[in-house]
Amino acid sequence: MKGIWTMARLDVAIWLRSPWAIAASVIPPAAMLLLVKVLTVAVTAQPVALVIGDPGPQARIMAGFIEADKESYFLKITGEERAQELLEQQRVAAVIEIPKGFDEGVAQGGAKLHYTLNNVDIDVADDIRRSVDRSVAQFDAPQFGAVFRGGLTPPNPYRVDIAETDLRHTDVAFGTYQLLPVLLLLIITLGVLGGALLGSRDHERGTRVFLELTPLRRSSFVVGRLFGTLLITVAFVAPVVVYLTWKGSVAPPPGHWPPFLAVLALTAVLSSAIGTLLGVVLRRAATVALAGVTVASYLFFLGGGFTTIAFLPQWLRAISRGVPTRYAIDSMRQTLFYPDLKGVATDLIALGAFTGAALVCSVLALGRLTR
Amino acid sequence: MAEALRAVRAAARLELEQLGRSRVLVTLVVLEAITFLVLVSLFGLTGSRAPTALIDRDDGPLARSFVDHLDAAHHSFALRPMSADRASEQISSGDILAIITIPSDFGRRVAGAGTSVVPITVDNVNEDLTGDVREAMPSAVTAFAADNNFPGVRVVAVEHDLIDHETGYVAYLVVSALALTAFVVSGILGAVSITREFETRTVTQLRLAPVPAGWLVVGKLLAASCVSAIAVGIAALIVVAGYGVHPDHALGALAVLAICVVIFTSLGACVGALLRRTLPVSALFFGLALPFYVDSGALEPLRFDGEKLWVTGHASPVYSAIGVLQWGFHGLRVTPESVLQNVLVLCLWALASVLVAAAVLSRRVVRQ
Repeated sequence: MKGIWTMARLDVAIWLRSPWAIAASVIPPAAMLLLVKVLTVAVTAQPVALVIGDPGPQARIMAGFIEADKESYFLKITGEERAQELLEQQRVAAVIEIPKGFDEGVAQGGAKLHYTLNNVDIDVADDIRRSVDRSVAQFDAPQFGAVFRGGLTPPNPYRVDIAETDLRHTDVAFGTYQLLPVLLLLIITLGVLGGALLGSRDHERGTRVFLELTPLRRSSFVVGRLFGTLLITVAFVAPVVVYLTWKGSVAPPPGHWPPFLAVLALTAVLSSAIGTLLGVVLRRAATVALAGVTVASYLFFLGGGFTTIAFLPQWLRAISRGVPTRYAIDSMRQTLFYPDLKGVATDLIALGAFTGAALVCSVLALGRLTR
Repeated sequence: MAEALRAVRAAARLELEQLGRSRVLVTLVVLEAITFLVLVSLFGLTGSRAPTALIDRDDGPLARSFVDHLDAAHHSFALRPMSADRASEQISSGDILAIITIPSDFGRRVAGAGTSVVPITVDNVNEDLTGDVREAMPSAVTAFAADNNFPGVRVVAVEHDLIDHETGYVAYLVVSALALTAFVVSGILGAVSITREFETRTVTQLRLAPVPAGWLVVGKLLAASCVSAIAVGIAALIVVAGYGVHPDHALGALAVLAICVVIFTSLGACVGALLRRTLPVSALFFGLALPFYVDSGALEPLRFDGEKLWVTGHASPVYSAIGVLQWGFHGLRVTPESVLQNVLVLCLWALASVLVAAAVLSRRVVRQ
């Protein structure tokens, strides 16, 4: 036990004296955090110009619906010429025009709401198309989507209405939803790069010989190296978890803390084991760092860290079943965002199995190295 | 001059031989180039077609027409017909985002000029995805009413598109990703070619060589650029052959990628000379690529995201590169600047990068 502790302390001390290693591990999750923050701006409302060409009351009602929809539009109300300029300069993505004669059209049942769209890609274009359709629907069916007590629904000319039931009380903001997997990315990069760089350092500096000559049992070296890597990960991740909890970003429902912490712990062990294995196999710092970043990226992205796996094609979903972090990310979301723990036990078993396999491989590889 | 050229050629050959001996490194760099394409594709796939269970309890012609309109509602739903039990199971395990149930009397009510209420259960775990689903329902409903000529509908939306063709989101993203691929690959290889000299202490040999060390550095960076160009070329081939994105202006796109390789290899060499360590290089370039990716117009024209981000985006050559690449592949104009202006800016970036690299390498590698 003393040997294990000595080895772990040595590795932690080496790592803490390697600012570049710390930088290499922290940069990708920090950049991902920045990416999420910027995306939070990018995925919200689109800039749109509104031209009101008819002063009539119906046109004003239509304009009122569009102005009120702040979730969909960053609106600029302007004249026709200025709107075209804004569109040309890409200051707006679309120009909505309530044309002259709109009120007359409404009275005759044939009014048109024109919009010119910079359909540069379907993501931007579809967002605006959906928003304009919603504004139009509000005009003819102002109570669209409203179901009154007793299931009564106001009739509307579309002859179809929607009764929405939400699975949970509050929506999780896009930023929070994407932010928490970044915590897992931090664990993955710290574990993978921490273990890998310690291994490559021994090889490149030739310090492995010293380790072999110390009166340390091989098992102590192997377990101590893994434990050291784990300690490095915990030392960096624990304060982040405490901060996020204090800030309210990590707020699991009652009873969800133990599985949530289990997910973090298993991911840390898994990453440390993978990193240790990489360090033994690749040996050179340049390749180890590059491989570490690549492996961490794939583990994060294919595990659903930045995507929702359900959206992916069948073959990609099948591949992601073989990615251990998928179970970590799925169970993390379940413990934090869902009221029950459905599927968490299965996810933890799968994650545990992958972790066990990675541990066995890294122990064998380290054992061979010191033979 | 002949001696200088010979030195450049010899240094380039040596660098290529060294890279040839570092096959794992080169393989990983190529893999990194492909990684970026994979990553943005995964992100792009989440942007549309939310997996949605469809329970059709009517199955009459009007219900089927409504389902067709749901399917056509601006790439919003990937409808998966299934039973109520299975839908309930899948939504609680996060496999689908919503359940749409068409009631058994849908056709009867609609045909009788009544209003049929379609229940939709939404997994509102993420407000971005939920918002798309919520907004798509009115699109389907209004289009359904318009196609069936229901009386009482007073307003319809009429769309005019600026561009005569639709560009898929993944197709858009992978083209932008090529600029980032060039950034990551060329940056890493440019940096590693310099850090290796410090780490193996061969930088002294460079300085003691019987030719000006600057020519040797030029040779090394030329070799790194060639390998980068091959890796970026592989990524471009995957975009064309794998994703089926055929460039409208292939030569223009290739030229821009070549300029990107020059810019980023030079900047990579500067970083290598400043850090003198290989260890943080790949994490640094990969890490920088992520914020560059969103603040360069890679997802949509950058000015749509506000003036501040747009102005900030000009601080990197990736902004102009994406502007030209989107024109080269899709014929799109995604920056207010013209293609010619973007090309000019890129050329200036290339010139500035080479000059800065020359200054930094001269101080840190050649003279010290």
